Amino acid sequence: MDALFAKAEAIRPHKRRRFNGDGPHSKKHTGKDVELDSTAKSVLHHTSLPKSLRPGSPPPEEAKKYSHISDKKLRAQLSSQSAHSARSKALLEDAAFLLEHEDSGAMEAEGELDRTWRVGQDEIAESAGQEAAKSRREWKLDGGPYRSRYTRNGRHLAIVGLKGHVATFDWQTGTLHSELQLRETCRDITFLHDQSHFAVAQSKYVFIYDRDGVELHRLKSHIEPTRLEFLPYHWLLASVGQTGYLKYQDTSTGQILAEHRTKLGGCTTMTQNLHNAVIHLGHQNGTVTLWTPNLPHAAVRLLAHLGPVVSVSVDPSTAGRYMATAGHDGTVKVWDCRNWKGAVRQWATRGGSAELEWSQKGALAVASGGSVNVYNKPAIQQFFAGTTSPPLYMTHPIPHRPLTSARFCPFQDTLTIGHSKGLSSILVPGSGEPNFDSSEADPFENKRMRREREVKGLLDKVQPDMITLDPEFVGSLAPPTKLTTDVNGKLDIPFARLPRQHRLKLQGRADETEEVSEEEDGGEGKEGNASRKEEKEKKRMRGKNKAMKRYLRKQRKNVIDPKAVALKEKLQREREQRKKTRDLAKGVQEDRLPSALDRFRT
Amino acid sequence: MVKISVLQHDPSTHLPMRPGDPTPTSRNLNPLMHPFARARERTRALNAAKIERIFAKPFVASLEGHSDAVEVLVRKPKSLSTVASASWNGDIIIHDLQQRTEVLTLRGAHKGKASGLCFGGENGDRFLSCGVDKTVKLWNTPTGLEQDTGDATPLNVFPSKNAFNSIDHHRTDPIFATASNIVQVWDESKTAPISNLTFPTSTETITSVRFNLSEASVLASVGSDRTFTLYDIRTGKAERRVIMQMRSNSLAWSPTFPTTVLLASEDHNLYTFDVRNLAWPTQIYKAHVAAVMSCDWSPTGTEFVSGGWDRTVRIWKEGVGKQPEVYHTKRMHRVFSTAFTADARFVLSGSDDGNVRVWKAKASDKLGVIDARERAAMEYRDTLKERWKMDSQVGKVARGRYLPKPIHKANQLKRTMLESRRVKEERRRKHTRAGENKPKAEKKTVVVREQT
Repeated sequence: MDALFAKAEAIRPHKRRRFNGDGPHSKKHTGKDVELDSTAKSVLHHTSLPKSLRPGSPPPEEAKKYSHISDKKLRAQLSSQSAHSARSKALLEDAAFLLEHEDSGAMEAEGELDRTWRVGQDEIAESAGQEAAKSRREWKLDGGPYRSRYTRNGRHLAIVGLKGHVATFDWQTGTLHSELQLRETCRDITFLHDQSHFAVAQSKYVFIYDRDGVELHRLKSHIEPTRLEFLPYHWLLASVGQTGYLKYQDTSTGQILAEHRTKLGGCTTMTQNLHNAVIHLGHQNGTVTLWTPNLPHAAVRLLAHLGPVVSVSVDPSTAGRYMATAGHDGTVKVWDCRNWKGAVRQWATRGGSAELEWSQKGALAVASGGSVNVYNKPAIQQFFAGTTSPPLYMTHPIPHRPLTSARFCPFQDTLTIGHSKGLSSILVPGSGEPNFDSSEADPFENKRMRREREVKGLLDKVQPDMITLDPEFVGSLAPPTKLTTDVNGKLDIPFARLPRQHRLKLQGRADETEEVSEEEDGGEGKEGNASRKEEKEKKRMRGKNKAMKRYLRKQRKNVIDPKAVALKEKLQREREQRKKTRDLAKGVQEDRLPSALDRFRT
Repeated sequence: MVKISVLQHDPSTHLPMRPGDPTPTSRNLNPLMHPFARARERTRALNAAKIERIFAKPFVASLEGHSDAVEVLVRKPKSLSTVASASWNGDIIIHDLQQRTEVLTLRGAHKGKASGLCFGGENGDRFLSCGVDKTVKLWNTPTGLEQDTGDATPLNVFPSKNAFNSIDHHRTDPIFATASNIVQVWDESKTAPISNLTFPTSTETITSVRFNLSEASVLASVGSDRTFTLYDIRTGKAERRVIMQMRSNSLAWSPTFPTTVLLASEDHNLYTFDVRNLAWPTQIYKAHVAAVMSCDWSPTGTEFVSGGWDRTVRIWKEGVGKQPEVYHTKRMHRVFSTAFTADARFVLSGSDDGNVRVWKAKASDKLGVIDARERAAMEYRDTLKERWKMDSQVGKVARGRYLPKPIHKANQLKRTMLESRRVKEERRRKHTRAGENKPKAEKKTVVVREQT
């Protein structure tokens, strides 16, 4: 029968490998000659491995091996992850040169004595292409100093004059969307998620208009607003006003999300950090505060200037690492947002308070007095102890004081400055990001794409309570729990598997009174013992806990009974004697010869 | 001289060439261009998880026709739509899943319970049924063109002395095995069994018997004395036997891993064993709150379905021992039989209320034509869910399942009992001499004895 059994290659007990055997699948792959076990061989002609389970292409070279991890499941998972990421990285590198299809603008001095700031706008416009030269223009408008704002794709421009002239238009084609004469003070304007809606900070309230200039909403809770910001990924409209309140309104649901009292008086300076949606406010007393909707107080409070702060801007080219502030005292300071110890660089501007704006590529425009100065990147962000201004990249005089706003156009080399006689738009080569991403902001998008983006943006709306100074906390490892299982230095026992007493102890719910009384031993002095017992007088039997009895018990404590004292001493002596004999038996302590001084020993 | 270049976008590269063309898109993978990329992806993952739960409507249809509990469900080999079921009053029905009609109805095919059913031959052109009336009957499978009435006669009847509990046909040869108090192997053309297989010391009642699908001469059975036995019909004897803590109700061989066998046990768990090593199971599957009555593998071998005394149907991934997909209805009773369809998209369950229910194998699956964009979106959502499953909110939505109150209560009770058992064990260990009573892995406690 055994012969038949062998011939039939029937199921045979699987041979145990090494001691206490690994799982049945732990076949060691030692090179080519992997011997199939008999069961596998006999089923081979009936079965085939499905395609999905066959090994794919070998992992790339740079994939990590994780051979030090003993858990097989974890090791397999980690190595497949790293192989996947290595593969996708290689694919990315392949695609990189296809993606970067446009070059950014630049202005470079060729000779030793050449300076880029000597080049005027006429010269730049001459050498620029036909399309780019279009953006050099002057808008001569009545109605007070103007402010402007671009949409996120840089295609549409909204302008507002202090006396109430509001207009939105596609500045490239020159199509006017709406033009309003509101006949009251208008202090700021911002587009909402795209050009289809915009909000104006008017004399009393904030109003929302649609693309054609039809008033949609009057936001009565925003009182006397001075500055507006829209957080595009959270769909929040933030406003700050003369009352000193920072208010967040959710534009997708219409609810007021948070109202923060700054306690620093009226505020006329606000900007947002695009990368973490933190609002930066500049105040009359020279402080700059950073706000999130979920904190009732400022996340950061910085004394930046000695006078009022007039302008704040955050650098988008370094993910908001640097912040520039300008004060009424005529200084401009650049701060490192990771370390608030002191300004990285500071310098004085001519002509008093300055308007600041940082471009996508990191050029800093400072509009002050009668001119706009543009500084370039490495110099303004490197630490410099002195107070001289960094090397100038470009300058442009504007004779219409005051200059009230400066805005770079996204994805263009264009800077728009608002002043008392309207707006002027100048060319700043190298300030705009050349490659846009169609999934984020596309200057060439059509109607259908705009609609689709609106819906997608609403679906992907980030919850406002996730706004923090560090946006990378999402999806990172959670901090270790406060509930530690550290008992006697053993950390490896999970909480659920601990004995009940330990669990209670860790939760701080254990009743430790009993345990302490058990732990009490003769190690401590009598006084210590007595005092501890006094602390927790036990509940006694009925009738023994009356106030009088307790008083008497207390009185008895001070009584020294000579009998008891003598007994205690005797016991102590006996204990010592026993210890001595024990030690003798063990040979720890040698018996000394009796000395004359022994008579003084008790 | 100063070299000046000003950025300008060429409209011809960014606008469609002709009206009607798609607008060209451009990409910039610089992370600075994508603020809040992770936060937005998390929101998308959360939405994906919610969408999945919103569209989780697994119930497809109920196939009526039986007037008593459905004991067996088998699918016809090489057919997507034909399924046979047998019930406790001896009725046998062959269903067409596409039409949701009965192809063949045999009222009272057996006296008493029809306990076993299987298709024979490579294409399933005939089928066998067995019952507690001590007979096995061989029937012709109808072609499905016209509905047959109940007065069909069997091609052959195999009498026996014992009531049968289960039957299974050899994959290729015209032989079949039956389970009563012993396992018998029969030839279709002979009226007496060709061999009797039993373990020498066995006095059990065999509840289920199955042929291996690849090693087609190997047979496995589970019995009432808590055993799982392997036989070989070439040697004609029982090869190995395993005695477990509790008896198993059903077993199924994996269609893709020939050495893997799945047992549905009375102790609320399912076990997969590798038959090369019967000392411990490869995985324990824990979620049922009452005895598991039936199990069946999906044809891919990566999933399997189980039905239990707790009135739920659960769908498990192979190698993942917890949190299966769970299906239940208000009216479904104890589930005695389950089956996967041949395309692995549907699951069938036959229950005490006499209904055969058709469920989707993936609860939120969309039936019907899916175009490429929709498919891509689904795959993207699946990847997102997989990637963010560790996020507490996403995971909570994706993993959470509503359970009917009785099952929820039973689950709570079971958890309490297991916890107190664990605590007791721990206390006992604490009060024995150190090192004398070591904790044992749960896998190692399943098998009581292994016999050859």
